[in-house]
Amino acid sequence: MMKLTTMTLYVSVLMSLAVPVQAAGDPVVGRTKTSMCAGCHGIPGWRTAYPSVYSVPKLGGQHAEYIMAALKGYQSGERSHPSMDAIAGSLSEQDMEDLAAYYASSYSGPAK
Amino acid sequence: MKKTLFVFASLALAFSLPIQAAGNAEAGKAKSTTCAACHGADGVSSVPSFPKLAGQNRDYLYHSLLAYKSGKRKNPIMAGQVQTLTDADMQDLALYFSKQKGLYLKY
Repeated sequence: MMKLTTMTLYVSVLMSLAVPVQAAGDPVVGRTKTSMCAGCHGIPGWRTAYPSVYSVPKLGGQHAEYIMAALKGYQSGERSHPSMDAIAGSLSEQDMEDLAAYYASSYSGPAK
Repeated sequence: MKKTLFVFASLALAFSLPIQAAGNAEAGKAKSTTCAACHGADGVSSVPSFPKLAGQNRDYLYHSLLAYKSGKRKNPIMAGQVQTLTDADMQDLALYFSKQKGLYLKY
């Protein structure tokens, strides 16, 4: 009996370790939060107008982890761009996770 | 009047052309071996904290390299990598990675 309890404990500990460190975002929920992103990132050939002119990056297929790092960088001020500073500042951690999951995934929204 | 119109039309056409067409993709490939260690030879990084570069907009890639070089964008790894790059190197690399297949426009 003791043995079983010990084993259960070990298995529980192992299972908890196997769970991903951070709660992953949901791409389907992320799709509902893209309204602020799509005005620039969703338009072919769109360029930033200020402070310098260049095409905004493509996000489709990018790693979720990198998108998270970029958004958090804008939020903390480590990375800076006028539009992105403001937008990232308005996002919660969960919003960022969901958006990152959406852009990284192959899910592109409800069937039209 | 006709001549003035023609001048204006020519100027408008000139400004509507892409800003710059510099860069050489073959040269970029030759210079990309260091980049490949993290970003992948095909521009698709296997480590998710390193961004994929394949198919990214060329002027965005160039702008990013410039920002790392000037210190505006901060990243300990990239700061070291860009120090030895010339403007032509950055143009070539940006063009090379932009021509690979990977990232896409997503609404």
